[in-house]
Amino acid sequence: MLRVNLSLLLLICMVAVQAQYAGFKGVSDLGRFKELLAASAKNTRSIKSDFVQEKNLSLLSEKIVSEGKFWFKKDNKVRMEYTQPFQYLMIINQNNVYIKDGHKENKISTKSNKLFQQINKITIDCIQGNVLDNPEYKVKLFENSQSFLIELSPSAKALKEFFKNVNILVAKKDYSVTKIELHEQSGDKTVISYLNKELNADLPDSLFAIK
Amino acid sequence: MQIFLIRYLLLSSGLLVLAGCSSSYRQLQAVEGNASCLDQFRPQFTTAIYTTQVNITGNYLSGLLFIKTMPDSSTRLVFSNEMGISFFDFEFDPRGGFKVHYIIKKMNRKAILKTLRQDFELVLMRSLNMNEARIFKNNDRMYYSFPQKKGSNYYITDLNCTTMLAIEKASGKKAVVTVVMKDYSKGIPDTIGISHTNFPFTIGLKRLQQ
Repeated sequence: MLRVNLSLLLLICMVAVQAQYAGFKGVSDLGRFKELLAASAKNTRSIKSDFVQEKNLSLLSEKIVSEGKFWFKKDNKVRMEYTQPFQYLMIINQNNVYIKDGHKENKISTKSNKLFQQINKITIDCIQGNVLDNPEYKVKLFENSQSFLIELSPSAKALKEFFKNVNILVAKKDYSVTKIELHEQSGDKTVISYLNKELNADLPDSLFAIK
Repeated sequence: MQIFLIRYLLLSSGLLVLAGCSSSYRQLQAVEGNASCLDQFRPQFTTAIYTTQVNITGNYLSGLLFIKTMPDSSTRLVFSNEMGISFFDFEFDPRGGFKVHYIIKKMNRKAILKTLRQDFELVLMRSLNMNEARIFKNNDRMYYSFPQKKGSNYYITDLNCTTMLAIEKASGKKAVVTVVMKDYSKGIPDTIGISHTNFPFTIGLKRLQQ
């Protein structure tokens, strides 16, 4: 009887995991994925891409769509420039962040802005291949024929306030990040899709200069 | 350019407040009239997105404010940062009700909620009872006064009520909040400035054309 119950429970768990993300199934061997992601990241010196960001306001059935350009250069250098429908520039260079919102310029340390630090740490960790090692998240891995889906559930209180979880989609063909989904506690979701990626282009340091 | 416009609006509204303070509303002369002309300035937010700059006691915050009128006539205001993370989601119903659907813990303080509610109620102009208005005149301005639990809200227009110059929330004899709404297009203001006089708190909104 106990064995039947356990089997049933196992079956329910398996169905629940598979149903969590339509078309995706759970991957138990994180180690292998980690190795391949790290190997791919090792060969990635820089990334240049476009991005489209969609904020879905669930209760209002509305979307706010913005787009821009993204640049990454090893180590820890990111430039994210929103061009439509508003101007917003963010540069991360090591531990410093520069923000220009079309009106005002701000230089901040990532230490003083936990939220930015975390979102950008996720981005940088993904690109550098060590996203699975972040102790502030519980990690689950799923896959379909095209992609891996890394589900990060924050364990730290400060992050839990903002996110239910952060999902990262990684293309199987080149182990590059194609999407980052921020699932908020409010039920809203923001999806950042990276398009037209160009790997290992020569990017001048001036792109990431914080003056 | 936009920030200069917003600063200008806030500065000019500040000057208006100072002018208001010096007169302390005492020089206003009661006149006969009809407040229903204010209806034309009530923003018709079907959906609108504003880039938003908030300065509060030396701290600066920017983001997007999304405003939508729902099928049940309530108005929802959702404020998020540029990366899409929501800070608050408020609902204002046409009968003056207010509901917080979501707010981050740091902002979830009674005083903050009360201030934001009052500020946006001035902007939305939802629960104005035109029959309760008392109308005053001062030089080249008309003051449409709506009594509140404490003090009054003044909607200030030119003499012919063709342009709304400012909205003031007055506590006793002094304006404590000034709102400026400018450049309406299809019933929606392009620029909105909210300025507090008793502590350093300003909100600047500039409509995004999507």
